[in-house]
Amino acid sequence: MSYGRTVVKVLVLLLAGVACTALAEDTKNAKPSEKIPKGAKIYVAPISDGFDTYLKTALLDKKVPVEVVDSREKAEYQIDGVSDTQKAGTAKKVIMWDWHSREEASIRVSNILSGEVVWSYSVHKESSAHGKKSTAEACAKHLKEAIAEK
Amino acid sequence: MHTKAAVAFVFLAALIMSVTIFPPFAWPQTGQDKPAPQDQTKSPDAAKPDSTELKSAPTDEGQLAAVNNAKMPAYAKVYVAPMLGGFENYIIAGLRNKKVPLTVVVDRSKAEYEISGVSETDKAGWAKMLFMGSQNSNEQASIKIADLRTGAIIFGYSVHKTNSVRGRQSAGEACAKHIKQIVVD
Repeated sequence: MSYGRTVVKVLVLLLAGVACTALAEDTKNAKPSEKIPKGAKIYVAPISDGFDTYLKTALLDKKVPVEVVDSREKAEYQIDGVSDTQKAGTAKKVIMWDWHSREEASIRVSNILSGEVVWSYSVHKESSAHGKKSTAEACAKHLKEAIAEK
Repeated sequence: MHTKAAVAFVFLAALIMSVTIFPPFAWPQTGQDKPAPQDQTKSPDAAKPDSTELKSAPTDEGQLAAVNNAKMPAYAKVYVAPMLGGFENYIIAGLRNKKVPLTVVVDRSKAEYEISGVSETDKAGWAKMLFMGSQNSNEQASIKIADLRTGAIIFGYSVHKTNSVRGRQSAGEACAKHIKQIVVD
């Protein structure tokens, strides 16, 4: 009787060990399930040409459900990025008859604690009607969609 | 007077004939154009690149090379090193847009792989606008992926886009699309 119990205990322990090992293998490179929750505190890091200011304004204009904070210590997520503007030159104005600037920007949202990038987006506007404002609002609009679908 | 002119004429004719008969490619090469002397001790096979070491395949946009057919596991942690002009942001956005199953981290010490590279943008000038009627830029970028544990370069890719409709975004997405090919889902 006691021999049978011992065998059962050993088998249970072995099964538990195998299950733990399999779980560890699965979670080694598990799919990141992190999502940006509504009302998350976000810090917008300085971006070239002051694009961070346009981005903060766009987050408010597009009613993105996040809270923008002015200090990285208070934030859960951080937005980094890059922006580039090429104003229309004489050639573009005379030959292409186009006064609008060429804008491009790319941003990423990372979790400050885990260090994982949870969302990113790039935008390119060959002839931006409202300059940086247009690209910033495009970023904000898509961030809002990403938060809403999550 | 006539004699001198005749001598000069003959000299010029000889010079032209010599150039015609012996074109420049037949002349002995000097400097950098001269090929390096082959090591005769090596077998002919030694001069050929090892096909198992470097596999290169032409694509519509650029060249990719996967060393030893290396693969990356899905959701491996990848660090994208800063690049000139912030191109790393476009690569990260491209990875998301192309649904590449990798986890991008901002801390290099937490990563298993590192993506580094270089990019360059050539914006359209007035001549291109006037003669080609195009205001799109020319983009080129080159990236490599290193395994941070072993230090080995496991993947490389270069892209060149003439008249890139979406600028650096196009180049970043091209890189991401080809990175996806070596990720084992």
